[in-house]
Amino acid sequence: MVKKLKTNDKHINKLARLLTGPNAILYHKEDLLAYDCDGFTIHKHLPRAVVFPKNTEEVAKIVQYCAKHQLPFLARGAGTGLSGGATPLNNEVIISLVRMKKLISLDVENRRAVVEPGYINLKLTNSISDKGYYYAPDPSSQYACTIGGNVAENAGGAHCLKYGVTTNHILGLEVVLPNGEIIHLGNDGIPDTPGYDLIGLITGSEGTLGIVTKITVRILKNPEEKQTVLAYFDDVEDGSRAVSDIISTGIVPAAMEMMDKTAIEAVEAAAFPVGHPKDIEAVLLIEVDGISAGIEEQITDILNVCTSRNVREVKVAESEQERARWWANRKTGFGAMGAISPDYLVQDGVIPRSRLPEVLSRINQISEESGLRIANIFHAGDGNLHPLVLFDANKPGDTEKALEAGSACLKVCADVGGTITGEHGVGIEKIEEMRFVFSDSEINAQTEVREVFNPDNLLNAGKLFPSPGRCGEVKKAMKAVIS
Amino acid sequence: MISSTLIAEFASFLPENKIKVNDSADHPLGNGGKVTVYPSSLDEIVNVVKYANDHDRKVTVVGSGTKRGFGGLDKPADILLSLENYSGIIEHTVGNMTLTVKAGTVFNQLQHYLKDHKQKVSLDAAWPDHATIGGIIAANDSSAKRLGYGSARDVVIGLKTVYPDGSIIRSGGKVVKNVAGYDMNKLFVGSMGTLGVIAEITMKLRPLPKDETLVLLTVENDDLETIRSFVVSLLDTQLEPTSLELLAPSLSEKLTQIPKYTLAMSFEDVESSVAYQEDFLKKLKPAQTTMNVLKQENMEHFWNRFYTIGPNGAVSNTGDETVASIKVSVKNLDVLEVIKESNRLRDSHNLDVEAHGGLGHGICQIHVKGAKSDVVSAIHHLRGVAEKYGGHAVIKHLPYKLRQEINVWGENPPYFYLLDGIKKQIDPKRTLNNTRFVGGI
Repeated sequence: MVKKLKTNDKHINKLARLLTGPNAILYHKEDLLAYDCDGFTIHKHLPRAVVFPKNTEEVAKIVQYCAKHQLPFLARGAGTGLSGGATPLNNEVIISLVRMKKLISLDVENRRAVVEPGYINLKLTNSISDKGYYYAPDPSSQYACTIGGNVAENAGGAHCLKYGVTTNHILGLEVVLPNGEIIHLGNDGIPDTPGYDLIGLITGSEGTLGIVTKITVRILKNPEEKQTVLAYFDDVEDGSRAVSDIISTGIVPAAMEMMDKTAIEAVEAAAFPVGHPKDIEAVLLIEVDGISAGIEEQITDILNVCTSRNVREVKVAESEQERARWWANRKTGFGAMGAISPDYLVQDGVIPRSRLPEVLSRINQISEESGLRIANIFHAGDGNLHPLVLFDANKPGDTEKALEAGSACLKVCADVGGTITGEHGVGIEKIEEMRFVFSDSEINAQTEVREVFNPDNLLNAGKLFPSPGRCGEVKKAMKAVIS
Repeated sequence: MISSTLIAEFASFLPENKIKVNDSADHPLGNGGKVTVYPSSLDEIVNVVKYANDHDRKVTVVGSGTKRGFGGLDKPADILLSLENYSGIIEHTVGNMTLTVKAGTVFNQLQHYLKDHKQKVSLDAAWPDHATIGGIIAANDSSAKRLGYGSARDVVIGLKTVYPDGSIIRSGGKVVKNVAGYDMNKLFVGSMGTLGVIAEITMKLRPLPKDETLVLLTVENDDLETIRSFVVSLLDTQLEPTSLELLAPSLSEKLTQIPKYTLAMSFEDVESSVAYQEDFLKKLKPAQTTMNVLKQENMEHFWNRFYTIGPNGAVSNTGDETVASIKVSVKNLDVLEVIKESNRLRDSHNLDVEAHGGLGHGICQIHVKGAKSDVVSAIHHLRGVAEKYGGHAVIKHLPYKLRQEINVWGENPPYFYLLDGIKKQIDPKRTLNNTRFVGGI
């Protein structure tokens, strides 16, 4: 006998009956506050309730109930998303997948693993490393973020220059569609299922096409050797030219990360300083991996390129500990901004690699014009910039200025032939910026696809697409009514 | 006469010399058209497609025709839209390692051009001297090196697609990392031209490897168990093969003169790494096997022949025999079973069989030739084998008439309404490549 909950909301009472397990629903305001946004904290909205299903069937039941009663709903993983993808704009029922956190199976011979969506990214690598394997996509939040969330956002990471992003590692999905139906795509991870590539479409759809409840991922053998190089440049332009030169020599580094002077100031003031010189303009962190016999030649090439680009100092990590320290320093870069600024806004533009010097000088201009400092951390190898706009939310007008400056940075990226997001997603944060890269008809082309999966738009509505898309839909709906 | 009406109506946007009236639209492989049009600009493509859509005409899209026998149940279309003359490189940014090309560009022309810049498109596909990049991407063709390279979906970063209503829809972009909006590229890659005409393609490139080698391991007495345990131990080492392709004996004989099961392993890296991996393999070599290493011309010769073993839809099969090509996808190591079963068809069905499959990616290609009834029976048999291992079989090449009897894509998936829904949203009049894809989409 299910106890009646202390609420008059009949839907909450009914939803509670669809769930098993203790404390499977939250509905008191004080409990809901923790779910009013994700890692993008500027917009906050309270959900109607948060439910914690423990298997696919429970997810399907919840979704069927929501669909039947036209209740808006959305899925949430660890809530580390940076663009507001899990923010309940429409008082949604949040379906939290954190209780679905099992590694279901591991098939080393066929190099694949099946996980539930709430399984934490880093846990996968940790649980297979004793066998010599790892899961390649490594977003900086990998210690906390879930693989389900990674699929929704098509998450990247520092090492995707060589190994690709999440979409390149997903072999199969079990999905609960917005009508509550459960479908299986890419059975057993077998490639090229006849039909449109729905795995590819759903990956990166920011939770608007369905709720992923099982994921088959590709696992990779650990490379035989890794070598990491740290290079200091007195001129950002030299550093960025070195990035292009390294790739031009025929090397595909596993990672190539860059930080500018302001970012260096922050990481050195934060929890993992490594002693970067204070007066340096740019630091480059380069990692190559692969067959040991081939690594030395690549390191020699990299050192030669750095020298030819006037590097002040360049060194190769001498131990695993040193390598780990350099990476900790870099991977905690966003949070490190807290050491030099009360608040920061992180952006996520991508540019053609060769335009880096020009883009950096334009970002400098934006910084000067706005009066706000902007630190730059980038996955330089694939042109993915993270300008971090530093501001003080308590200062009147600062937040607006920061948002404007962030948007201006994205405009620069779009103008040089790049895009507005490389790995954080559009969410609610970059909806308006979608116009920098897509025409109305291109946005409509995408919402038309959404209609096939999510015709009532109950699942995570109000994300990704700006109003022209919505205008199109309204026009279409009006046309349908008239005809 | 529909053809003369079309020419008259095309006059405003397509010069007559870009239109060819076909005396007979019928072709043994189907997928023909009453007139063939050869647009050479994006505007011309848009105008042809929009005209057809507005006037309820059907359009079949073709590159060089190597995949003419792949899918398609309809009678000849009104318009065969050839992209042969829409070819060439639009933009190659050497430093960014990205390339934008027109869809009609022949694959090897691209690779030859890129070679001068020490770069390449990391895809391998059948008939590279004929196949166009647009066709490879629309049909999601891949081959042995998919293990190291990935497939079209991993290489394409941007597309310009002409929708049936004539709108030009860009997806993705020119940068290698991009999560703005839905990943619409994925929808068009492998869509068999049923959603839009893929007109321009942007791809990420890879540097040409400094060294490359091909190691062939041959086993005695059809001893596939030895290959299995060798591959399992190889995959558990740090070696990084770009191909791990099992060749059935008849194919091995054709390519290497040795009529035995052979594993074709390629390695691409800097010289020292390639040499190391070669040596490592020699140490790993099981007893009673033979190992041969091919380099440079010999290796290139092997691959050139390998990529042209299957049927080429652009070349008519004049013989009496029926030719079919079957793609079977299973779990990586189940490839062994599929290739073994394929090899048996030689005796059980009295067929010529050329079969190979990737033990690192799970895709097998089986080309068969023989009497019609034997070919049909072999297809059913292989589909059964695929299903037994949880996989699926797609018939990539089959005469038009036989396609009416055999569902080349297999049964519709339970979520077929999603696929059909996507088609209806984008191409409600079914103007483009009607019936070419799953479930007659």
